[in-house]
Order: sequence, then structure tokens, then C-alpha cells
Amino acid sequence: MNLALTITGLALAWAAINGNFSPLNLLFGAAIGLLTSMLLRKWIAHPRVMRRLRRIVSLALLFFWELNVSAVRVAAIVMTPNIRAALRPGIVAFPLKLTTDREITLLANLITLTPGTLSVDVSEDRRTLYVHVLNLKDRDALVAEIANGFERKVQEVFE
Amino acid sequence: MTALLATVLGCILLLLGSCFALLGAVGVLRLPDLYTRMHAASKAGAVGGGMILVAVALVSFDASIALRAVIGAAFLLLTTPVSAHLLARVSHRGGYHTQTTMFIDELAAASPSKGTLEQ
Amino acid sequence: MTAAELLSLTATISLVILGIAMLIAIIRVVIGPTLSDRILALDLLTVIAMGFVAAIAIRTGLMLYLDIAISLALLGFLATVALARYMLSRIKDEDDQP
Repeated sequence: MNLALTITGLALAWAAINGNFSPLNLLFGAAIGLLTSMLLRKWIAHPRVMRRLRRIVSLALLFFWELNVSAVRVAAIVMTPNIRAALRPGIVAFPLKLTTDREITLLANLITLTPGTLSVDVSEDRRTLYVHVLNLKDRDALVAEIANGFERKVQEVFE
Repeated sequence: MTALLATVLGCILLLLGSCFALLGAVGVLRLPDLYTRMHAASKAGAVGGGMILVAVALVSFDASIALRAVIGAAFLLLTTPVSAHLLARVSHRGGYHTQTTMFIDELAAASPSKGTLEQ
Repeated sequence: MTAAELLSLTATISLVILGIAMLIAIIRVVIGPTLSDRILALDLLTVIAMGFVAAIAIRTGLMLYLDIAISLALLGFLATVALARYMLSRIKDEDDQP
């Protein structure tokens, strides 16, 4: 709460100095305010809020990187001459550690937009997420990769 | 100077986005079955559309329009996986996977399909 | 070359690319073979059409087209969800009366 107030104040001050109260300018001011309060977090903000914010930023950065990688990889597969040889499709059951609806939804969306994976279904008891894989090499390695990558990051954001 | 830079960057993003959209369409035509096609449509489609919207944001030089375009891109990134997921789930329940070649299908083992799809 | 000329040229090129992409997606809509394939291709078609309208916005400089593009994306999502739910209801009907 304290942090939100600080950032709003900083954004308003930025807009006032610029003489421009357009939404984009306010947003830009808020971004600069966030950056400065991160640098001065010891004196301004509660440490837990900042840690969570940093995790959200880290998840978003990882997501945008993986999104671009996945688009390039799909494009590469589409352009190969012998398309069936490049594929090894399958559906893998991924054991979920996440429990709430919003966590599972976020994880499923992230999985769909990352390289070679697409979430198909969630079991009735919400323990398993079924993931379609474009090029399946090692089932256990894939499950470990998701568990240690996105699932852990989602868990950290919501904890 | 910044204006020129934003314009050039916008042009590059516009072309890249169009190429991704084209490759997504080629993928939907060339890939062998529904699930692999879904990979092409959801990833290349979302990235292509998102890139074009960000390009609009870069070349418009208007804060309200740029904000709208970025919100549109975020909306696209949120909804594309949801619709792909819905379609994949429904098709699997309808028994589509029996017509495809998959190396393992752990979902079919857990819940046998309930109906047949119309050809 | 001025910035405006560059923009107009790239927008025209991307309109051509997106037009070809739409044609390819339409081929998949026509040949199917199942309902799911058609719905998937239609979904991609609306996303490409949205990009097409956005490219027109850049080419003409009329940013009103951007709103059209965003509402087209919204419409495409709703259409896909509606069609998927229609398929689900039909599968359930078959269950009830084997």
C-alpha cells in the first residue's frame, strides 16, 4: 500500500513537471518511480512487496523471451521440407503442484505460449495437466523442465 | 531522431509480424494433424498479431492510441491460449486423437473419449 | 526516402503478405477435414484479418481502424469459444442417447 502511494505520487509529480497528463506519460512516470523506489527500497518500501514485484517482472521477462523463441521454432519446423520427420507428437501428463484456479490458469496459458508445448486438459481433481508436445524426446526431462521453470516461478509470484 | 528510430522499429515489427502470421497459416496448412496445427496457429498467430499491434503503437506518436494498441496486444496474448486450450480439450473428448499418430497419449489412457467427431 | 514513404511502403508489403496468409488459411477452412480444423483455421483467419486492419491503419494514418482491429480480435475469440462450446454440447448429446 505504501509503495503504491509512493509510485502514484511520483507519477503525478512527473506528469506535472512535464505539463502532460496523458495516460502514457503517467505510465512512464510510474515506471520511473518504480525504478527509483526499487533502487531506494531499503528506505521506502516493505521488502516483501518488492520481492514479489521482482518475481512478477522476472516471470514476465522469461515469458516474453520464451514466446519469441517458440514462434521462431514453430516457424523453423513449418519451413522444413520433410515435415513429418521433424515431429514426434504426444500428450504427456504433468503432475501439478499448484492448487488454486488462477495459478493453474496462468500456468496453462504460459505453457501454451512457450516452445513446443500446448496444454490440452486438466483432470477433474486438478492434480494433472495434460500437455501436448510437438517434438517429444524425453518425457521426464520435459516434466522436470516445466516444474523447475514456469511452475516454480508461478508459485513464487502467488505465495 | 527518436521519431525516425520509432518509425524504423515499427516498420521492422510490422514486417516480422506479417511474416509470422504467414508462417502460422502455412503451418496450419502443412502440419499433419489438429494438435500440431494448433501449435502453429496459437504461437505464430499470437506473436504475429501482437507484433503488428505493437508496430501501430510505435508509429502512431499518440499516447492514447499507443496505450490502446498495447492493451490490444496484451488481450491477444491472454485469449489465444484460452481458445486453443478449449478447442484442444473439446476435440480430445470428441475422439479426435484416434485419427492422429502420437507416440504417447497419457490423456487417452486416463479418460477415454466420449463421442465421435463429424468428418 | 522520408519516414512517411517508408511507412507506406512497408505497410503495403505487409498487406500483401497478410493477404497471402489469409488465402492459405481459407484453404484449410475449405478442406477441413474435421470441424475442429475448420474452427482452428477460422480463429487464425480472424487474427490475420485483425493484423490486416491494423496495417491499413498504418497505411492510411486513420487510427480509427485500430479500434476496428481490436474489436475484431475480441469477436474472433468469442466466436471460437462459442463454436467450441457448441461442439461440447453436441458431444454431450451423443452421450445421453447412445
